[in-house]
Amino acid sequence: MRRRDLVFLLPAAALAQSADPVLKAMQDEMARARQMSVVGGQPIFYIECTLDEAVAFRATASLGAMFSANASSYRVPRVSMRIGEPKFDNTNYMFSEVFMGTRFDPEQFPIDNNPAAMRQVYWLALDRAYKTALEAIGRKRAALRNITQAEELADFTTAAPVKMVLPVPNWAANEDAWKGRITRLSKIFAAYPEVYTSSVDYETSRDIYYFANNEGTELRYTELLAYVRVRANGQAPDGMRLRDHVTFVSNDVTKLPGEAEMEKTVRESADNLRALLKAPQGESYSGPVLFEATAAAQMFSDLIGSQAAVFRKPVMEPGRNVNLPISDLEGRLGSRVLPSSFTVVDDPTQKEYRGRTLLGHYPVDLEGVTPSPVVLVEKGTLKNYLATRVPTRDAKTSNGHARLPGSFGGYSAFASNLFVKSDETTPASEMKTKLIDMVKQRNKPYGMLVRKLDFPSTAGFDELRAMLGGVSGRVAALPLLVYRVYPDGREELVRGMRFRGLNARALKDIVAAGSDEAVFDYIGNAAPFSIVGGGNYVFGCTTVAPSVLFEDLELERPQIELPKLPVVPPPPLTA
Amino acid sequence: MVQVLDEELNRNFTALKKADPAPYFLSYEMIDTEATSVTATLGALQNTNSGKSRNVDISVRVGDAKLDNYRQIRGDRPQFAGAVSMPLDDEPNALRRRLWLETDRVYRTAAQRLINIKTNQQVKLEGDDKSGDFSEAPPVTKFETVAPLTFDRAKWQEKARKWSAYFSDKPEVLASSVVVVGQREVKTLVNTEGTKLQHGRQFARILISARGKAEDGMNLSASETFEAEDMSRLPDDKAVQAAVEKVYRKLAALLKAPLAEPYTGPAILSGKAAGVFFHEIFGHRIEGHRQKDETEGQTFTKMVGQKILPDFLSVKMDPTLHRLANIDLYGWYDFDDEGVVARPVSVVKAGVLENFLLSRSPINGFPVSNGHGRKQLGAEVVARQSNLVVESTKAVSNADLRKSLIAEIKKQNKPYGLYFEEVSSGFTITSRRGMQAFAVNPVMVYKVFADGRPDQLIRGADIVGTPLASFAKIAETSNDVTVFNGYCGAESGQVPVSASSPALLVSEIEVSLRERSQERPPFLGRPAGLTVSGGLN
Repeated sequence: MRRRDLVFLLPAAALAQSADPVLKAMQDEMARARQMSVVGGQPIFYIECTLDEAVAFRATASLGAMFSANASSYRVPRVSMRIGEPKFDNTNYMFSEVFMGTRFDPEQFPIDNNPAAMRQVYWLALDRAYKTALEAIGRKRAALRNITQAEELADFTTAAPVKMVLPVPNWAANEDAWKGRITRLSKIFAAYPEVYTSSVDYETSRDIYYFANNEGTELRYTELLAYVRVRANGQAPDGMRLRDHVTFVSNDVTKLPGEAEMEKTVRESADNLRALLKAPQGESYSGPVLFEATAAAQMFSDLIGSQAAVFRKPVMEPGRNVNLPISDLEGRLGSRVLPSSFTVVDDPTQKEYRGRTLLGHYPVDLEGVTPSPVVLVEKGTLKNYLATRVPTRDAKTSNGHARLPGSFGGYSAFASNLFVKSDETTPASEMKTKLIDMVKQRNKPYGMLVRKLDFPSTAGFDELRAMLGGVSGRVAALPLLVYRVYPDGREELVRGMRFRGLNARALKDIVAAGSDEAVFDYIGNAAPFSIVGGGNYVFGCTTVAPSVLFEDLELERPQIELPKLPVVPPPPLTA
Repeated sequence: MVQVLDEELNRNFTALKKADPAPYFLSYEMIDTEATSVTATLGALQNTNSGKSRNVDISVRVGDAKLDNYRQIRGDRPQFAGAVSMPLDDEPNALRRRLWLETDRVYRTAAQRLINIKTNQQVKLEGDDKSGDFSEAPPVTKFETVAPLTFDRAKWQEKARKWSAYFSDKPEVLASSVVVVGQREVKTLVNTEGTKLQHGRQFARILISARGKAEDGMNLSASETFEAEDMSRLPDDKAVQAAVEKVYRKLAALLKAPLAEPYTGPAILSGKAAGVFFHEIFGHRIEGHRQKDETEGQTFTKMVGQKILPDFLSVKMDPTLHRLANIDLYGWYDFDDEGVVARPVSVVKAGVLENFLLSRSPINGFPVSNGHGRKQLGAEVVARQSNLVVESTKAVSNADLRKSLIAEIKKQNKPYGLYFEEVSSGFTITSRRGMQAFAVNPVMVYKVFADGRPDQLIRGADIVGTPLASFAKIAETSNDVTVFNGYCGAESGQVPVSASSPALLVSEIEVSLRERSQERPPFLGRPAGLTVSGGLN
């Protein structure tokens, strides 16, 4: 990707006139929107307009057949408005975004850069936003007459305006070549009759983000993404449904692995599933557990990456409390969360690491704030949270981590490039020996080794419900490949296990970190386990982590009813 | 392709025969859809979507034709079909795997439901209708080809831009769009009775719509649509441009029109309005499955052979009809979704009820299907309407019909009568639990005065009423026919239909006032800006 970062910090906010027609349409309507405060009687202090412009090509193949191949292009506008004053505005209230009237602004934005048509959308959207804000601030004030907030925080903080209008890179989807490749990859499963369903998805996209606010910030930057995702499912003889998946992801389609490498990985995945289908069911276990580096990176993505931001609780209506997700790390600032040798940094400014492009890099966040590296954990102690312009008790200003649109008028923070490092490392080759030593010491028949987690998860809706149901506290991602390690070093794959009590609190029980390191790229979203298809807003992430050994961790065999095997035997596969 | 479907169908059927409960019928309906649509607003393209998809719906019947898993039990509709996606290429491995797993899923759901039905029967009283669940139908072997979809994307994009630009200098129009849709659908059906069928059709549509808000907050909209059998039969540019201008004229007039007031009195329904009126208050009540569902109102169930309409009116449903009054009809098909050949059905002859619309679910006195088992992808078949045609023997010219209206206004000593020129949609409640009522949402309604003053457009009027009472009040009709094309939504999803009727003079109709939005029009006026067309940067 060709990208020149041009960052100007503006001293004062004057409504600019951008040369970009989209930004200009935003600015024109924001300038007009200010007049609404005369009619509405409430001062508007903040307005922003955004546009996501996406072009994408998606295709799916299975068993050598094309299931779908679609090109799409669309533009989705969004606006946001704050009235009152930064100390107290219409946001951070449970009904901040509830609009009861008729919506006239379309959900889709014109694809043509036609100024009149573009301005029409922002005109009506800002009108709706102002009416929504008027209603929300009134109801919020009324609600606060009857409840006392635990602490009074401002609703919005300042941020320096940024002008960054970057050139849009060319983009083309080599549709036929990729259709051919995924069709060939999907055919690998024709040699695995025990795999009931399998698919290979390909997607490549270019997303241009346009953003302008009345503080003078003006953004246009592009994110490219391409991935190939391979999924396979089968059913063990006792009916247990099992699956494996592999994702190749990059922000540069030309940097995706070549076909031969993909083919090798897909075969490995098919072999994994074949082995799983024949593997014995695991037994409940409590003892030392070793995470290989990739599994460790997945685990840290899940336990720290998705939990490193504290969510601002909105003002509720008296008697109408809604349960909102609470981060595992909330309220633990200054507390020990990892062994003292560990440091965890989230750094969106880093583009490369050891010659590899990092997926979590971005020049400026969704609110137009230039990101800075954040030391989350220093010497094992929690030091900071990821933050947006909506202050929370422990994060009063933004550190440029608004990565997806949030609720109640703000954005949500999420990890970008997460680096988990330890000062004291054990040579990677000795990690398994260390596990075996602990097993022998504690007289256990075997220890456990985790090679791969279901993160981002490909669980179906029913499976996800089963995973989240009947368990108290936050559930960790499922282990996809987990092995018993016997004192003689032998490994035995087991199936049907899940972690018990693996959460941010368990990380203190890590006793060793390997000298190895996995660089794990993934596509994140707001759903639990960044479940595939779980959010309409996605962002790239990378986690770098070493292998880690837990002194004590529990794995259990959940008591769930297993579906029956199909009545009719599978149809024969032809080569 | 058909061969692969048929082979997998029979492989599964043979193996499932040994299971308990055993299936007695299995069918695969595969639907290939190809569609392209173009949307424009204010001279700018909003999106262009095009896609191809192929899905299969599987039907498994366990038990026997007298009692199977499709039996209605109170408050629970059968739902087995899953619209499972299938490969676009005719690749047998992928096809077979999908069919096999989906057949297994549907079989399990079917078997479980049959057990529930049998349990339910032990604790509930029997209904009035003792007919079984599945009727005989002769197997069909036929392969029709459907012409490829020709959708000149660049051409339609340009036209949509041009047409939609008309609203650019009309500030009272808050939202507007022009949509052009082309669609091709091929259905492949195989069942264990030996049916091997391929048939299909195309759809072409232009939709022009505009919305606005009156000063008092009432939301108003106007639209015009064109439906045709394929893209080549859509009207020429001049006709579409005229329709665009008409949409604007209608909305602009509505925004300024005075509010309706509650009213009871004589009225004329235009042919289009009467079509919707009949579709809602009559058509839905002659759908076969409603006659044996104990939760339904069953308005006409026991009225076969009796007079239900004035004797000058007849009603038929004719899926074999492609055109009427020079308009392409939307509700045609060659075979229904159970592979039963389409045929015209005379429902009411000279006011007397003769027939119901039937799928392969039989009802008392009507043991076989008349080819009206229809559904949308992913839904289960029920009896649905096709092309509804109202015919009249008491027909006069439109001018004379108006004279009759004025005479009726005078006779009833009313301040005015109403003319319903256009209705957008309606709904009807057929359930026993609800009121046996209907509502039709008129768009263009005029007050017609007896003293010769010009007609006056009003806004916010809804027609309300109950079906039997309304039919009795039809006094006379016009001698021309107009067509309403559209999609009808019911238990089995959206299906294309049409309704054609002459204009009707009704001696008494009731109008209620529509609910109104309380919200203010936009605070600011529309941005003044040049309209410049441009492409993607």
